Amino acid sequence: MKVLIAEDTTDLNRVVTVMLQKFGYDVDSVYDGQAALDQLELNGYDAVILDIMMPKMDGITALKNMRSRGINVPVLMLTDKSEVDDRVAGLDAGADDYLPKPFAMKELLARVNAMTRRKTKYSGSLVTYADFSLNTDTLELAAENSVRLSMKECELLHLFALHGGKELTTDYILEHVWRGDDSADESTVYLYTKYLKRKLAGIGSAAGITGERSGAYMLVSK
Amino acid sequence: MNAINKTTGSDSAVSIYGTSKPLLEETMQMVLREITKIRNEMTEELGMDPIEHLLGRIKSEESMREKCRRKGLPETPESALEKIHDAIGLRVVCAFLDDVYTIRDRLLALPRIRLVEEKDYIRHVKPNGYRSFHMIISVDEKIYAEIQLRTISMDTWAALEHHLKYKKEIGRGTALISAELKRCADELASTDSSMQTLRDMIQELR
Repeated sequence: MKVLIAEDTTDLNRVVTVMLQKFGYDVDSVYDGQAALDQLELNGYDAVILDIMMPKMDGITALKNMRSRGINVPVLMLTDKSEVDDRVAGLDAGADDYLPKPFAMKELLARVNAMTRRKTKYSGSLVTYADFSLNTDTLELAAENSVRLSMKECELLHLFALHGGKELTTDYILEHVWRGDDSADESTVYLYTKYLKRKLAGIGSAAGITGERSGAYMLVSK
Repeated sequence: MNAINKTTGSDSAVSIYGTSKPLLEETMQMVLREITKIRNEMTEELGMDPIEHLLGRIKSEESMREKCRRKGLPETPESALEKIHDAIGLRVVCAFLDDVYTIRDRLLALPRIRLVEEKDYIRHVKPNGYRSFHMIISVDEKIYAEIQLRTISMDTWAALEHHLKYKKEIGRGTALISAELKRCADELASTDSSMQTLRDMIQELR
């Protein structure tokens, strides 16, 4: 796991770096926002720790900048005292978490662990329900045999699997799988549900999807 | 049954089929006519031709003799007609998945045709990704025929896979190619499913 820390207070930067290294992280340290951006262009990271108040470029500007470039690595902001506005600004700019100074080292470690754990779980995870497994990384859906789903089918089935045996309304599905896509409507949900029903049957799975057009759908094990 | 062979074998010497060659021809034509009847009925019902192409062949003399040797059987008409069941080989390639099963059901409902054995490699996919529906039928309790039914996608995949199988010089990187071919088969199967779903959806909208 590779972590980038941007903190202008030399002592604090040093202490955090050593502590994270001690717990197995590969750490790169920089002392301002611009250097953090440069570093992010050069390397991929699993987590970034950003101080808000830094010379050259502050943490919030650096964060907005990296998000606008599509760098979606989890970010922990270090905020001075407990300035509510700083925290809100940080989260609004795309931070995943914040930690007010002064903080205990073990809390910082726990937060970095939590952020990187979340990431490992998201990418390439295997979602299972009844007798099928869905690899959200390769889009492979498998039971007795396998097929490869499209991105949207995968997202929809993932949502169903997270709520197996529970009814999901068409609106809920639209909101979670087709958010921001105005062309999607109840027919889209109906069609994609039909695709999945057929593909589940095709791979010989005992799982199926019940529900009527425009109503609520549910993933069930037959 | 490998690729459909067009040759009918050498006319010289004694045929491995003995004097049954005309009977094989006749039987094959009869099954082809029955499939064509089913095809016409379905075209009427669906408003579209369910069959993309239909092929039939009598296994060539050489292939049949080679198969007898491979199976350790004497090269006799009995082996070719009784022990081996694909002297007549038919391939029905459909545009849509459901039609594969409809054609199967209607063929087996015919009085002169009896199912001897079927292997559903669409449901029970081979580990390399091969999908097809195979069946051995007996016509008039006398002549065997093998029928392979599959979709265009499955047929396309099988053609490429067959082609690569003989590219032995590949050697290195075979595992990657096999894994990728399997992925392609799974993607094509997914598309077959989607296309069938879309046809169902159109029927619903009518």
